[in-house]
Amino acid sequence: MCKRSELLVSTTNKINHPLLSVSNLSWYAGNTQILSDISFQVPVGSFTGMLGPNGAGKSSLLRCLYRYISPENGQITFNNQDIRSLSNQEFARNVAVVLQHTPQQFNLSVFDVVALGLIPHKTMFSNNSKDDLALIKTAIEQVGLSDKTQVDFETLSGGEKQRVMIARAIVQRPQLLLMDEPTSHLDVKYQIQIMELAKSLGITIIASFHDINLASALCDQLLVLKKGNLQAVGQPKEVITEVMLSNVFDVCTKVSQHPQHHAPHVTYFYGYNSSDRAANQGDDK
Amino acid sequence: MRSFTLIAVVLLALVVSFISALAIGAADLSFYQVLLSIIGMNEHSGQFAHSIVWQLRMPRSILAFIAGSGLAMAGLILQTITRNPLADPYLFGISSGASFGVVVAMTMAGIGLGFYLSFAAFVGSLLAIGLLLLISGFSRQQQVESMLLAGVALSFLFSSFTSLMLYWSDPQAVTAILFWTLGSFSRAQWDLLWFPCLVVLSCLAFMFAKQRQLNAILLGDEGAVTLGVNVNKLRVIMLLLSSLLTASIVALCGGIGFVGLMIPHIVRFFIGQGSRKSLVVTALVGGIFMLWVDIASRVILDNQELPIGIITAAVGSLFFLTLLYVRKQKSVI
Repeated sequence: MCKRSELLVSTTNKINHPLLSVSNLSWYAGNTQILSDISFQVPVGSFTGMLGPNGAGKSSLLRCLYRYISPENGQITFNNQDIRSLSNQEFARNVAVVLQHTPQQFNLSVFDVVALGLIPHKTMFSNNSKDDLALIKTAIEQVGLSDKTQVDFETLSGGEKQRVMIARAIVQRPQLLLMDEPTSHLDVKYQIQIMELAKSLGITIIASFHDINLASALCDQLLVLKKGNLQAVGQPKEVITEVMLSNVFDVCTKVSQHPQHHAPHVTYFYGYNSSDRAANQGDDK
Repeated sequence: MRSFTLIAVVLLALVVSFISALAIGAADLSFYQVLLSIIGMNEHSGQFAHSIVWQLRMPRSILAFIAGSGLAMAGLILQTITRNPLADPYLFGISSGASFGVVVAMTMAGIGLGFYLSFAAFVGSLLAIGLLLLISGFSRQQQVESMLLAGVALSFLFSSFTSLMLYWSDPQAVTAILFWTLGSFSRAQWDLLWFPCLVVLSCLAFMFAKQRQLNAILLGDEGAVTLGVNVNKLRVIMLLLSSLLTASIVALCGGIGFVGLMIPHIVRFFIGQGSRKSLVVTALVGGIFMLWVDIASRVILDNQELPIGIITAAVGSLFFLTLLYVRKQKSVI
């Protein structure tokens, strides 16, 4: 009975109180406007994908969401609270971030990197408790790297590194996970694996994607950005259309239904980009 | 329990090194004599040994140990906050600032030795670090890059001032400065030891407290910010601490290069950087290394002390090259 009422509450929450809500957000890099007047909402437990060509402002928007940069105009609320009103530690307890790449570093082990997720939950001199160690162990198991716990992080492959970063996010125990193109420069297998792994965590996720088909397969909601403007928001089947793909990405496509998950699937046509073709012919001569 | 063994080995090495440092020198004492002196059993029967141990070698060895640990920690701090394996206290102009202070004190105020010279060195290095922070400390983006570049530029700037002042001063001052820059522990006195000891211990405590945050910085500023770490503030504090470490040591011992750069790397060959125990091991290994350098400086030449800086650079670089070679061999297999 209890479970059922909880379920009811969470559904109503989904409708009435989004976990994250962005209204009229604008951000300038110097004098150049990078993001203009962006508004959207992210329901609790949903997987939101961000699409857009290079330079559309996906990373900048995510950076606003995780407070790395602060927007000039507009408001971002998390659980109905302005995110600027939260302390660094409070914010980090609720929002975890997986970035595109990590800089080269010295010899931290997989364990050390995953343990970083404890930072927002720990005071200055506190040691790792038994619970902390168990949490770290479970997180590493969950991403399938138990045999590499003591291995140097630097020696891992790109896909393994991103799995470690997800394990770190698991240890951070956030309500919201933000991912900035976590699968670029990974093999197809790992692109699917990483995103499915993230989705399996069952928390609210906002991730930017390069691969439109992957986003279509996994996301409940898509945001499409072009030159800092929000072009479309909605479910994949509403958003992914041939017209949108032509307008935003400048490609010629056919959108069909995927045989397995029935979300839109994009097939690209080649030789339709006039400027590219002219350039190619120039090369031939 | 591999890490337990490692700590045990390091602690044992520390005890052996310290007793050796007390025993070996111009007048060789036996280990037995040293032990008797330490526990104060030969105060009357072995006056000579007792006063050598307590008045000469003990303060000197403590200073050597503290200097080694402090410089190793300063190097570790700087390598961590800049994510640059080549960072060490000397790259940031801290020691050129100290040299500048010493030259000014010697040539303009006519100070030859003692406390005031140390004080001048201290002020000089703080001046260098103050300028560095003014230039780079408050930039939010690319703080690391501007710190490294400004540090190198300041280092050269202070060196040129130093050279200019030397050019105008008499040869005696030039020799004195040269010896000062090469480093020595012969200025060790009991009443000057407390300050560097205090600085080293407080820095170790602070690094213990901030160890998780420092690890986070290794994985990039942006990632650390998302974990709730105030990266820019922490970096400025750590930079100040490492300059305080370097300044308090350089002021007493003169310029001792290469330890800050090398010891953290040597420790990294054996133990991961992520844990608090690696901090302790780095500090201890730095101290042990310096004890042996000091012993070498006393015994290599008869009736004469070889400057510390020459030995640290020579031994350190050879040892480091060997480790690199060994690691290459290992990775080939």
